[in-house]
Amino acid sequence: MTHRERWVRVMHFQPVDHIPDEEFGAWNENFPVWQEQGLPKDVNNNSDFDRYFQFAPRSGIPANVGLSHGFKSEVLEDTDQYRIYIDGNGVKQQVFKDGSSSIPHYLEFPLKDRKSWEELFLPRLEIELESRYPENRSDWEQIKARYSDPGWSIPVGITIGSLFGWIRNWAGFEGVSMLCYDDPDLVKEMVSHLAALISKVIHRAVHEIKIDYAAGWEDIAFNHGPILSPKMFREFVTPNYRRIADTIREANPDAVIYTDCDGNINDLIEPWLEGGINGLFPVESAAGSDPIAIRKKYGDRVVMLGGVNKRALIAGKEAIKEELERIKPYVDEGGWIPHVDHRVPPDVTFENYVYYLHLKREMFGIPHPEEFESRPEIKAIKAKWKGVL
Amino acid sequence: MADLEGIAENVIRGQAPKVKALVEEAIAENVNAGDILREGLIKGMGVVGEKFKNNEFYVPEVLIAARAMKMGMELVRPLLADAGVEPVGKIALGTVKGDLHDIGKNLVGMMLEGAGFEVVDLGIDVSPEQFISSITEHEVQVIAMSALLTTTMPSMKTTIDAISEAGLRDNVKVLIGGAPVTQKYADEIGADGYARDAASGADQAKVLVGVA
Repeated sequence: MTHRERWVRVMHFQPVDHIPDEEFGAWNENFPVWQEQGLPKDVNNNSDFDRYFQFAPRSGIPANVGLSHGFKSEVLEDTDQYRIYIDGNGVKQQVFKDGSSSIPHYLEFPLKDRKSWEELFLPRLEIELESRYPENRSDWEQIKARYSDPGWSIPVGITIGSLFGWIRNWAGFEGVSMLCYDDPDLVKEMVSHLAALISKVIHRAVHEIKIDYAAGWEDIAFNHGPILSPKMFREFVTPNYRRIADTIREANPDAVIYTDCDGNINDLIEPWLEGGINGLFPVESAAGSDPIAIRKKYGDRVVMLGGVNKRALIAGKEAIKEELERIKPYVDEGGWIPHVDHRVPPDVTFENYVYYLHLKREMFGIPHPEEFESRPEIKAIKAKWKGVL
Repeated sequence: MADLEGIAENVIRGQAPKVKALVEEAIAENVNAGDILREGLIKGMGVVGEKFKNNEFYVPEVLIAARAMKMGMELVRPLLADAGVEPVGKIALGTVKGDLHDIGKNLVGMMLEGAGFEVVDLGIDVSPEQFISSITEHEVQVIAMSALLTTTMPSMKTTIDAISEAGLRDNVKVLIGGAPVTQKYADEIGADGYARDAASGADQAKVLVGVA
């Protein structure tokens, strides 16, 4: 069974030899911390991370559904303590240099009203195809040929970007919240425009290449639920997801369409399903999105990627074992590729992560990758566990 | 005749211009500023907080209500001293050292103001020393700390320890909250209170200053 066959079968609740060996990566802050704990110095980012642990790959179709050209990145102020700059989304932000956090403090957002939407964003979101596919037609033909080869063994997917999340990024959390009341017609117009653009761009790809999945993102929930009410989400967003989902499923009725949304997503699942989204990622258990409760409520209407509580990895080996034993019967039902419910934070030790990965592979029958297992630092960690495993 | 009920109702509905007009009307009719504050603005925000806790209101509804409340508050604030109205308490609020998230902290600040507190907003990435300074400089009764990340949560303990070492622990109550924070963690680090959401933060603060 190839990885692609395995991935598709799991996502359709069909029997497999084992679940796909996928994980979501780690915070950038982890790499220097873990390097002090044994991770080789040349593992510095999530691409290195995937290669090092030998996770199963994915193939993405290169079709850009976002801004056709970014805003001009510009440093406005650079001191010993901090830097203030404008990023490719036009967002003015401040980052501190004391190493306390790599997460920026947002100072100003470019999307404020209809004028800024029309002047700054619409020209970057023109509904056309040429700038959104590989420049060279022959490159596209090669990609098509590669992914359409019956022997292609890696799951093939396309990104469908975001509807409300992008607007949140451009207007800010408070800005988009206010716009929902101050100018609801503008919010509806922006979401509808994005849906039209995304549908148009992916139409060619999904009709020329058989995709296994489409992946979007929202990130519009926090630990007590969505930032906006399900009623408002249904009014502003759901019908637009339906347009995108219809475009995908007219080409491949079996394609999984999933969205990435951190936080407590429970109240958004039904509106997503109504819009044709049937997959959830990363199912942030720690924020109240319990994958087992979701499975019990929605059964095979929903597939999941993620759902392993990151806090178990912080707590230690016993908690890791308990967490994996808790989810195993439901993972075994199919429709769920378990991995950590967000990028691994730096308060998870390298040893705990290796333990988690070893136990997950062991419990779910995933073959232990030979090259990874033969690494001296992994052997040294495992030698300490005699009697534990 | 002044419509305090209407002020509360329009705060709940986030109708800032209407709140402004009704507060102006009440002031023109010489209604006591304390009554406008308590029976109009605070009462309205109290309902908003309850609805937020019960998932009847979400962030947009809270933000437009807070904006309406603030518009009324700007008109009433200059009159409060003359009316002999004191805030229900004074509280310093900040996101802990290393954490630059301020959305949750800002929501808590709105709820606290809506509950009648004077809020000293220390901002983001607040060091233990800055929290301590707020006790001595502003004489706050409560320190409220927020953290979004498990990695920055330990700054809450560091701050509480620093307050104790400065000999000020008996002068102030400590309230904590944020996505990874739990009551258990609050108990472990010796905080006086924990709030699971912004509205509960205002409720807890009232308990800590003895007005609930």
